[in-house]
Amino acid sequence: MLTFALPLILLVATGLGKNSAVLGGPAFRISLALTVGLVSIGTVGYSLAIARDRDTGVFQRLRVTPAPTWTIMASRWIVQLGAVLVMAIVVLVVAAVFVGITLPPQNYLFTVLVALLGSAVFLSIGQAIVGLIASADTLNAAGRLLYVPLIGLSLFGDSDRLGMTVELVSRWSPGGCLETLLSAAMGATAWSGQSWGALFASFGYTVVFAVIGIRWFRWVAH
Amino acid sequence: MTRALRVTGLRVTYGPVVAVDGIDLDVREGEIYGLLGPNGAGKTSALSAIEGLLRPAAGDIVIGDIDARAHRLQSKAQLGVQLQATSFQSNLRLVELVRLFAGLYGVTLSPAQIRERLEEIGLQHDASKRFRELSGGQQQRFSLLIATIHDPALVLLDEPTAGLDPQARRQLWDRIERFRKEGRSILLTTHSMEEAQAVCDRVAIMDHGKILTVGTPAALIAAHRDDPQVRQAAHGEVTLEDVFIALTGRELRD
Ligand SMILES: Nc1ncnc2c1ncn2[C@@H]1O[C@H](COP(=O)(O)OP(=O)(O)OP(=O)(O)O)[C@@H](O)[C@H]1O
Ligand SMILES: [Mg+2]
Repeated sequence: MLTFALPLILLVATGLGKNSAVLGGPAFRISLALTVGLVSIGTVGYSLAIARDRDTGVFQRLRVTPAPTWTIMASRWIVQLGAVLVMAIVVLVVAAVFVGITLPPQNYLFTVLVALLGSAVFLSIGQAIVGLIASADTLNAAGRLLYVPLIGLSLFGDSDRLGMTVELVSRWSPGGCLETLLSAAMGATAWSGQSWGALFASFGYTVVFAVIGIRWFRWVAH
Repeated sequence: MTRALRVTGLRVTYGPVVAVDGIDLDVREGEIYGLLGPNGAGKTSALSAIEGLLRPAAGDIVIGDIDARAHRLQSKAQLGVQLQATSFQSNLRLVELVRLFAGLYGVTLSPAQIRERLEEIGLQHDASKRFRELSGGQQQRFSLLIATIHDPALVLLDEPTAGLDPQARRQLWDRIERFRKEGRSILLTTHSMEEAQAVCDRVAIMDHGKILTVGTPAALIAAHRDDPQVRQAAHGEVTLEDVFIALTGRELRD
């Protein structure tokens, strides 16, 4: 439930009071809501679910069936992608109907496509986390802390208040790249060299984290 | 004699730990075979290798006439498995789980057939419950149903009666014997010597990754009746448990 509530709360809350202008425009509000949704479904939700099922023996039960092993993981990825799709549509609809932020028709398509690309990035991060952390207890305790680097960082991408290094790191972090791409997809900024950079960086993150997550993944929690 | 399972020279290691140290097993068609041994003897590890959950360090596994190490998916299709610790997807209801696992084994069941299967294990009124909402005995019955959903020729049960009350235990014995009557073979592990004596045609006693002895419960008792350690362990009539204790020692295991 949190996966849907949190993005929507953010979407509405960022429009309250006088600070909305400081935080950014309408595109920024949608993009923040989508990023939070992606992290909570793709990274936090996915890694907690996988760790729990590994702990309780759900995967072992599936692995003794004649289903090829890769289909066990692939079906989980498809479920998460479906959840991301629903979340993105809900956020965009709520933004249009209740908050009054609308986009030109083709930008809706771009935004959903970028959201799916983003979910590949965040799912692969989730995969890397369950690959490297064997214990469901540790993940339960630490999982929600992931919001801090993944979302917190991306917030400083456009501000130079914290210095060049922070800005650079934050702009090219997975969350920062996603913000860049979402902002272009919604037509808030023009597609530029930086957008291309963010696109390639996102593919790069997906490959690197997926390789780590699959290479070190264990089906049992010992 | 046709074999349901033939294992030769099986060796399973976890890093430096040798869990199974070169064992041979052969389960005949229509036989109930018990694998006995103290905690940590290597029973689950041996079963895991047969089930294809882990890659053995050495040895051959033939299920029916399929080389299980060369044809993993084909051999898995022949096996019905109940794991020592198991669970099912927590977001699915029992009916959905039955449909899912039947599908994974390539079996299509109509809603009426699913209802019938659940009725057989007395869970027809719990079809829309989730696995974790069942009692231990119900969970056990359900996972046995899933293990045999595809009418497998060989059924592997890892401590199927652990934590069951006497009624549920008897019921399970009946089910296992019914499987045998249907021509299936069963390989099970248990810590209950009473159970081994009651349901198993043959038992193997294993310890520290090795098989110490194999035979019918009666033959094992007859063969070891006069061993000094067995005499010492026995309180009156010699039982399979006395033989077990004499062979595997009195110290506690991990
Ligand atoms: N995943 C693992 N990693 C490392 N060692 C393991 C692992 N699984 C089992 N072992 C070790 O291998 C040995 C055999 O364990 P196994 O689970 O096969 O015993 P078992 O006979 O099934 O015991 P029990 O009756 O307690 O279920 C033990 O020493 C155990 O500590
Ligand atoms: Mg065991």
